[in-house]
Amino acid sequence: MIAYDILICGIGGQGAISLGTVLKLAAIHEGLDVVGAERRGGAQREGIVTSNVRYRKPESGETPDERRMAASGLIPTGAADMMISMEPLEALRHARYLNERSVVIINNFPLTPVSVRMGEREYPQLETVHSRLREFTPNVHLFPIDELSRGHFNSLRQVNTIALGIASALGGLPVSDESILAVVREQFSDFETNRRAFELGKETARK
Amino acid sequence: MNPLALNEPGRTILAMGNDAIVRGGLEAALGYFSTYPGTPASEIGEGYRSLKHEFPHIHAEFSVNEHVAAHGAQGASWAGIRSMVTMKHVGMNVAAEVLHFAGYTGVGAGFVVVIGSDPGATSSTSEQDDRWYSLHTHLPILEPSSIQEAKDHTSRAFELSEIYNLPVIVNAPSKLCHNIGSLRLGNLPNVFPVKGRFERNPERYINLFAGSVANHRRAMEAVKRLQGETPSLGLNRVLPGSGRTGFISSGINYLYLLEALSLLGIADAPILKIAMSYPLNPDEIASFTRHLDRVYVVEDLEGFIEFQAKRLLYDAGIRIPIIGKDVFPAHGELDVDLIAGRLSEELRTPLPKRMTRAIKLSNELTGDLPPRQGAFCTGCPHRATVYSIVKASDRNTVFAGDIGCYTLSCLPPFRAFDWVTCMNCGVGIAQGMLQKIEGENVIAYVGDSTFFHSGIPGLINAVQQNASLVLIILDNKWVAMTGHQPSPTTDIALDGTRMHPVDIKGLLKSIGVSYVRTIKPFNIKASMAAIKEAIRVGNGVRVIIAEEECALQYGRRVARTPVEYEVYYQIDEGRCQKCNECYVELGCPAIRKEETTGGWRYYIEEATCLRCGACHDLCLNSAILRTEILRTAGMESL
Repeated sequence: MIAYDILICGIGGQGAISLGTVLKLAAIHEGLDVVGAERRGGAQREGIVTSNVRYRKPESGETPDERRMAASGLIPTGAADMMISMEPLEALRHARYLNERSVVIINNFPLTPVSVRMGEREYPQLETVHSRLREFTPNVHLFPIDELSRGHFNSLRQVNTIALGIASALGGLPVSDESILAVVREQFSDFETNRRAFELGKETARK
Repeated sequence: MNPLALNEPGRTILAMGNDAIVRGGLEAALGYFSTYPGTPASEIGEGYRSLKHEFPHIHAEFSVNEHVAAHGAQGASWAGIRSMVTMKHVGMNVAAEVLHFAGYTGVGAGFVVVIGSDPGATSSTSEQDDRWYSLHTHLPILEPSSIQEAKDHTSRAFELSEIYNLPVIVNAPSKLCHNIGSLRLGNLPNVFPVKGRFERNPERYINLFAGSVANHRRAMEAVKRLQGETPSLGLNRVLPGSGRTGFISSGINYLYLLEALSLLGIADAPILKIAMSYPLNPDEIASFTRHLDRVYVVEDLEGFIEFQAKRLLYDAGIRIPIIGKDVFPAHGELDVDLIAGRLSEELRTPLPKRMTRAIKLSNELTGDLPPRQGAFCTGCPHRATVYSIVKASDRNTVFAGDIGCYTLSCLPPFRAFDWVTCMNCGVGIAQGMLQKIEGENVIAYVGDSTFFHSGIPGLINAVQQNASLVLIILDNKWVAMTGHQPSPTTDIALDGTRMHPVDIKGLLKSIGVSYVRTIKPFNIKASMAAIKEAIRVGNGVRVIIAEEECALQYGRRVARTPVEYEVYYQIDEGRCQKCNECYVELGCPAIRKEETTGGWRYYIEEATCLRCGACHDLCLNSAILRTEILRTAGMESL
């Protein structure tokens, strides 16, 4: 049985939900079962947003067993194969889903919560984010995704596609690049820019 | 093409739980849909709205409130058209009056009530368990466990409604409404009824005196019949297994339970999956439990199935322990972790190492993290209005809160709310309190949609009882918090179509409010002056309408004709005194702090700033500069 769980986190307005949608549509494209609940920030910004992406497929010839194939909307503690966090603090906040083999991808641009703005709390250093997450898994990767998007495309619109490229290069995603790109072509305008962003993500991850 | 409209039975699409409910209605030849938007069920209305071209015969509306929405669906059902009304769980309180009669009178065509519940209150002011209503409304309840069942049960609910002559409830919690995954499509009907016909039936529809008693009896008999036939409907099912400990579960908790049992290495335990949680069939419960030593009931919130099962098993003479809410909390949201954790203690079975390790490590970690609470969107007119309210009032002000995006003003940096409970708790509670407090100013909030939902009676009462308060109507033209459904004051739709907005000022005048002012929120100084003046007047009901369209909706409409921003706001480092008025007090997310070689500075992030100008207006040091660039057609080619 294929079972692969991805937790995507970020804050409202960062596109964590659309990132999850692309990964799920890619599954439909390939004939995998997919499921996963979203935590949406209401209409407000700066709220925590998560998207669970849970792939399931019986091996060919295997009769699907309802009990073992069961996938609720939420990834249990310690069960994420991959985490994609669009924001460093949110990666720490959702660390409980990680295990020793999880792959963690983090956009290193911090978005300051109100509690930090008001001087009530401190935002952790990026080195701290990295070292605390390494207690969970050795596979922790921080990338300047905002900066890459701004630098290469003069906008923040490509952040999610770059993240998809990184995820594809680093992880054992059960969906292919072809499926991801087919979905991107279908869902977004300006496919060429998005394709370049995806490639940029892949190159960045390989460096 | 909208995948929900595909007539390709067997094809798998990606759908949200709410979409699946929409499709369930389509496959059942729905003809009438009404709702008042509320998270987590709002997208059902969005779904039907997006299908208006493919299914033009479906009347789909965002009604003024849940009571009206439920009446509307009842009317269409009586006209012989399959009807659906949807609402969030607290909307049931508003629709409850209608729905207490709907079981008595019965239906014309199938009448389905979808309730989006919110265990954990992640987007609500309450997590009430609406299933208990059915003990006195007599309405059967289906609890789908997956996206697929959300569709299948919705279609089925129409049939059951017609067979048993009762409206049927589909209860879907937020984690199902907002679950997105594979959905296998079924058949769309070949023919959709366009018009129905009202058949007079005074015995049922004139629900008065002895007729009402007869209807009451009829409703209970219908439930009794359904109860007897439940096992033959194939909705509930037993997963046979080994061991003498069994489990009963419903809704999404069924999947949580399956996962939890796998984690504990007891995946083959006997399980009774309940799809219809009201009414329960006594034999079905008894025959499942008879050969077991103990049974755990795993369900949402307050133990509705446990309560019924215990009663039925008592009558059947079965006396084994039925354990539910003593182990799984009756408050908050259950999940795999919580269920696995509690069962691990109960059954003395260890959790997998991977899980205990993650729990241990994250417990050491997460306590120190700065919390993140929602804030107003960048460019939100409410941020500016609330800032002005806070600055124009003193510590001696009572802030009467209400429900909408502006509820966020209860959070830092504003903390300008003294209560929030249900819709229109602002004016409603304030006008009573004012009869008994003295020396304090009262400022009440209400949004446009909330005001029309149920605020008008409270305001009339305030006027008649001469309550002395300032009411701020934050009119952003949309039901923004639930995803931008139209409100009675929406004047231009996203595609530019002109709407027919209700004239709030005319309404206020006719109910006797003599003091009405309008402010433009981003004009902070003028807004503050207007609020101060309203407070100073100090007598009777004074209304200020803070009128500015939701920035997101405005942005979306403008995005259809893209233009480069021609106005820029920048913080002049030389002038900025780092007084924190913009960064902390206004708290706009586009204003940011960064390290520089000489220390640090505040700056405005261009890509995020929506050019509302509120910071520019309020800056005490004139340090926020506004630059306007005139673009001519000729410049584009440079």
